[in-house]
Amino acid sequence: MAKLGIHDLAVRYGKLTAISDLSFTVAEGERLFISGPNGAGKSSLLGAISGAVRAAHGRIEMDGDILSGLGPERIARRGLSMVPEGRRIFGGLTVRENLMVGTGIRRDRAAVADDLETAFTAFPILRDRANAPAGALSGGQQQMLAIARALMTNPKVMLVDEPSLGLAPKVVDEVYDRLCSLQALRGLTLVIVEQSSTRAARVGGRMILMRGGRIVADGDAAGFAAADLLSEAYFGDPA
Amino acid sequence: MITQHRIRRRMAATTPVLLALLLLAFVALTLAFGDRAAGRMASETLIRVTLVVGFWIFAGNSGVISFGHAAFACVGAYVSAWTTLNPAMKATLLPGLPPALAEAHWHVLPAALTAGLVAAALALGTGAAILRLSGIAASIATFAFLAMVNTIWANWTPVTGGTSSVVGLARYVTPWVALGWAVAAILAASLYAASASGLALRATREDEVAASASGIDQYRHRLLAYTLSAFFCGVGGALAGHFIGVINPDGFYLSLTFLMLAMLVVGGIGSLSGAVVGVLAVSLAVEALVRLEKGFTLGATTFALPPGSQEIIIALAMILVLVFRPAGLMAGREIMLPARWVTGRGTSQN
Amino acid sequence: MSLQLLFDALSLGGIYAIAALGIALIFGVMKLVNFAHGQFIACAVFALILPSTDAVAALGLGLLPTPLLILAILGFGAGLAMAAEALVFRPLRNASPVALMVGSFALGVALQNLLLVLYGGRPKAISLWAGLGAPVQIGPAEVPLLQLIVIAAVIAILLALGLMLKRSRLGLEMRAAAEDFGMAQLLGVRANHVISGAFALSGALAAVVALVMVAQTGVADVRMGGQIMLIAFIATVVGGMGSLPGAVAAGLAIGAASALLQAGLPDAARPFRDAFLYALVIFVLLFRPQGLFAAAGAKPRV
Repeated sequence: MAKLGIHDLAVRYGKLTAISDLSFTVAEGERLFISGPNGAGKSSLLGAISGAVRAAHGRIEMDGDILSGLGPERIARRGLSMVPEGRRIFGGLTVRENLMVGTGIRRDRAAVADDLETAFTAFPILRDRANAPAGALSGGQQQMLAIARALMTNPKVMLVDEPSLGLAPKVVDEVYDRLCSLQALRGLTLVIVEQSSTRAARVGGRMILMRGGRIVADGDAAGFAAADLLSEAYFGDPA
Repeated sequence: MITQHRIRRRMAATTPVLLALLLLAFVALTLAFGDRAAGRMASETLIRVTLVVGFWIFAGNSGVISFGHAAFACVGAYVSAWTTLNPAMKATLLPGLPPALAEAHWHVLPAALTAGLVAAALALGTGAAILRLSGIAASIATFAFLAMVNTIWANWTPVTGGTSSVVGLARYVTPWVALGWAVAAILAASLYAASASGLALRATREDEVAASASGIDQYRHRLLAYTLSAFFCGVGGALAGHFIGVINPDGFYLSLTFLMLAMLVVGGIGSLSGAVVGVLAVSLAVEALVRLEKGFTLGATTFALPPGSQEIIIALAMILVLVFRPAGLMAGREIMLPARWVTGRGTSQN
Repeated sequence: MSLQLLFDALSLGGIYAIAALGIALIFGVMKLVNFAHGQFIACAVFALILPSTDAVAALGLGLLPTPLLILAILGFGAGLAMAAEALVFRPLRNASPVALMVGSFALGVALQNLLLVLYGGRPKAISLWAGLGAPVQIGPAEVPLLQLIVIAAVIAILLALGLMLKRSRLGLEMRAAAEDFGMAQLLGVRANHVISGAFALSGALAAVVALVMVAQTGVADVRMGGQIMLIAFIATVVGGMGSLPGAVAAGLAIGAASALLQAGLPDAARPFRDAFLYALVIFVLLFRPQGLFAAAGAKPRV
């Protein structure tokens, strides 16, 4: 069975249609990139899956359970976590407090300490700054904190919205490096919004191209990179 | 050819006319079919139209809720009392008045105009400070302003009579006088709403940040609307005083603030028609509840609501409107003639 | 500053700070300026006595032994606030801050008139803890015992609240929700839980103010929450909307200014003390519209 299933999803803001008739599935442990130009509906898609945005119609399933209509708090409890666009760090809380916010939903209290240790090992900078206000971190550090924070809810599926936004290429390399090793370590299913198809090809995984709220292509990210020039021309939006 | 834009403008121009006719019909009907209490209710309602339409000029166009407009009514009522009361009476009731006021014995019309002007001047002065604050903080500051005026009026006994009432105001406010001022307020409100300043202010209502980015000087337009708004609340206060003949500071405090807010919320803050319809709806409800509080007979038994239940019911109705119909009865629409009526003859060549 | 004046300023400012915290807690998590807070205070006062329109108050809850009484009234305040949240503010959860504020104003009017229906409009004498007025000699100054108790209680409450916000799960979730409610929800923080918690705390703080006011004045009056609520509003604006430390600091500052005005103003001007206070605040805001204690660079969000 697919880990995550999207069936006939539509999202509208008033009269504006952001997503229409969208269907795809994600297998357990898969790494799926969602790419496409601005306004393609990528963030609306993640919003709808996480429950932050209400779907106009359609069905979203995880492990065969229906998520649609549950609201973000309950979807998070089912084991779906989100690293949002712009990171949305709690700037006034310390780094450690940021990491702890999402642990309220867990019953395995003993494992929380282990996970905190895992997070600190994966991102040593977070251990060094554990008691500093999160607002004082640099952009790259905040991105890492956002990833670590999402992991602290002990998710099975993690959605990551534009992790490379506003970061230097070297920092992006580092972020993806950690993200991939954490995925392997935890057996996570990852859905990542990523503008740059070359970046997605380099990291490796499956890729869905969106445009105008629909899927226009679905396949291996490396294959898209081969056809890179074509897709770049098609979207007219160099990443 | 008449452009779409001109049709809209002509339609909008019919709003004040239709609202005035609505109020005229209201007065005529209550006087023709109602008892004496209904006549009093008609005057009271029209005074409230003046107050609430005045209030709407600011709150409706700016989207900022003011809790301070009852204070402008308070100032207006006292200014009119100071200028029109019999000097002999003032010498005993209000010994602290400055000589010029103590000897004044004006006609009621210039007194009402002066009441409005003084309230407007006060609004200009205090608004210059309060309106620099953003939305919610400004609302709180207007509440502080209301409390400040009430504290001063309740304690400045030689000039205001303190908490004891000032009596003997000439009771000249008939339903027709009140209608005249209500219509004047409606005209001024629709003129302001259609003016460049009104349009700019409503643009800022939707999004403060975007509007300031587009170069609209929100502060200046707010201040203008606040000042104009206070003028009609000042006049409304003067009318209220001369309607009952007795004024005291608590008559222009929290209950009046609540009533004005309730009317605006029930009718819908988004349109001038909403303000007027809200006054009519709430006034009729209040009248019905007051009669219920006095008691009514059904068969052999007499039922009466306990005193105070009127406010409770209005407050609950207000909350229900906020929950189920947040834009109010009129939902931001104006009462206006349909397009085919205002295009006139000979323009149907399309 | 004389010692007596210092105690006046501290006890008055402390109560203002507690009231301001009650406003700021709720504003922080749901951007609601709660105009019903004053009526929460008044309701907690009247919860001490039995409903009747007689001139003399018959104690109800007020008959309990002091520790139980305090718990009962705090519980009443918390329960009332939570009920108000569930019945009025939850249906308005997605409304604009302006609609929320207007709704709370209507709720306040409804509660005040409910008290009028149940208890009548005349102020009633309540004899509770009459012994607290006794003076205590501290150095050169004579200070009422009540003032010392108030100051101690305020310090204890501030410490407990600070600890609760910093160390407890609910405190962490409340602080996270105050910064970014949507993000907190994405991390599984339950909105109802956090908002109910904030209302419960706010209601309990209103009850504290109610107990202090009863002990100070010995009177139950339907209007008694209004003035202190206004001061609390002003403190939250001056403190920077939603900032808890700002609200406390501004509450204390307003208490001090108030005590100084009371001592410094000539007799004839004393009834106008509050008017001077409000004018002072509006004047202060002219120069610092974002509040006195707002973090540098913090932009007003409302």
